[in-house]
Amino acid sequence: MSEMEAAVAEKKTALDVAPRTADVPRDVVFDVRDLTVRYGGNPALAGVSLEIHEHAVTAFIGPSGCGKSTFIRCFNRMNDLIPGAGVEGSVLYRGQDLYGRDVDPVTVRQLIGMVFQKPNPFPKSIYDNVAFGPRVLGWKRGLDERVERALRQAALWDEVKDRLKESALSLSGGQQQRLCIARALAVEPEVILMDEPASALDPISTARIEDLMAELKRDYTIVIVTHNMQQAARVADMTAFFSVDVSSGGRTGVLVEYDRTEAIFTKPRDRRTEDYVTGRFG
Amino acid sequence: MRVGFQEELEQLDAALHEEGTLVLRSLRGALNALVDQDAELADEVIAFDDEVDRRYVAIEEGIESLLARQTPVAGDLRFVLAVLHVNLHLERIADYCVTIAKLVKLAPPVAPERLFVDAFQEMGARAEEMIRVALDSFATRNAEQAETLVQLDELIDRANRRFVQHVLSFGRDPTLQEWGLRMLLVSRCFERIGDHAVDIGERTAYVATGEFREFTDASH
Repeated sequence: MSEMEAAVAEKKTALDVAPRTADVPRDVVFDVRDLTVRYGGNPALAGVSLEIHEHAVTAFIGPSGCGKSTFIRCFNRMNDLIPGAGVEGSVLYRGQDLYGRDVDPVTVRQLIGMVFQKPNPFPKSIYDNVAFGPRVLGWKRGLDERVERALRQAALWDEVKDRLKESALSLSGGQQQRLCIARALAVEPEVILMDEPASALDPISTARIEDLMAELKRDYTIVIVTHNMQQAARVADMTAFFSVDVSSGGRTGVLVEYDRTEAIFTKPRDRRTEDYVTGRFG
Repeated sequence: MRVGFQEELEQLDAALHEEGTLVLRSLRGALNALVDQDAELADEVIAFDDEVDRRYVAIEEGIESLLARQTPVAGDLRFVLAVLHVNLHLERIADYCVTIAKLVKLAPPVAPERLFVDAFQEMGARAEEMIRVALDSFATRNAEQAETLVQLDELIDRANRRFVQHVLSFGRDPTLQEWGLRMLLVSRCFERIGDHAVDIGERTAYVATGEFREFTDASH
């Protein structure tokens, strides 16, 4: 795994001097090839191939049961935690197979952080929530600065700087979700995966999370799953539409179309995408 | 606060303003080509229209994308819809400039009397002023200022009617008649540019008040 870390470090250094305009082709962070995921024997998701680009927000949309949450979990091996789950095909992260035998899933989850649907702060202080990851990794020096930086990046610092020792559970739902984002950022990931990050939040908190995504993509690569199609339209650079294939008797998620978000919402190539984004589906 | 969305709206505003600046350049070029009977400059005005058209298409594509992704509502929606119209009006104004340039080239070489030169200068200057007022009032969402376009349009209409009378007074000289016919179309172009400026003003009032109404029937 140290090889992977070195590769990432090298990338980050190169990026510091590289121009970052919209027209510059972005590097591929994830290269997914013919991925199939099974729970027990049935495929929940089959034959998915796509590339995720750095410094972009990529959204996965589609109806319930289309496998989009299953898919995002493959990017940091969260499916490993589900008994009976099996992954075929490959997920290359910076050219390295995430499912290779020598790959430590814990390191994967440090480099590729995740934020979930419901804010899940630890029942600890605001400070301790953010400091948790760095402490586990033994990063003791400059911990205060690290916590402040993460909270600033998550656009939460101004609201909590005078109450860092208070319980994280005293925060509002929207603040708790930004705290969870700060907690993920504190261990210096390269990628943030967000599974329905705003679906439990009110519209104002949702707008703050969406603004935050636009900010964070300058430094990170962001992948989100969302039920809210308009959220994908608003925040994502690239959008993948998944659907459910019932032709084999079961219900298998398939990737229907993957393109620039603008293209998905103005001139989708596949009839199924058109039906879904226009609300004619189901 | 949807920061990215607000930025996109501001970019749209800026793109429209840039298009307006190009249209003013096109008008200035057409007017100079007309007064100086400069065929070379007329060709430049004709070629320059591609630049305006590029902006026009880019703005329209930007609006398509914005509507699809950001679902603007209320004042934002009115603004986006108004930009869609104003964009078309500006593109049409540039087309009239091209028509003037083409007519300069088509007209027989007649040294126009001072009277006609002055009339062109007057109509050109009024058209220019109207575009400026239309763009300024749209940029500041100033419905009151936009409505002053009606009076300015009346002035350009009068100038156009006077021009028609002058041409009708021409004798039977076929060269002069052909020249007069071409110049009637030029005069008509200035008059139509004024109408489009009034239409832009109506869109400004729509953005500002939420109500669409025609300032006057005479604008058509």
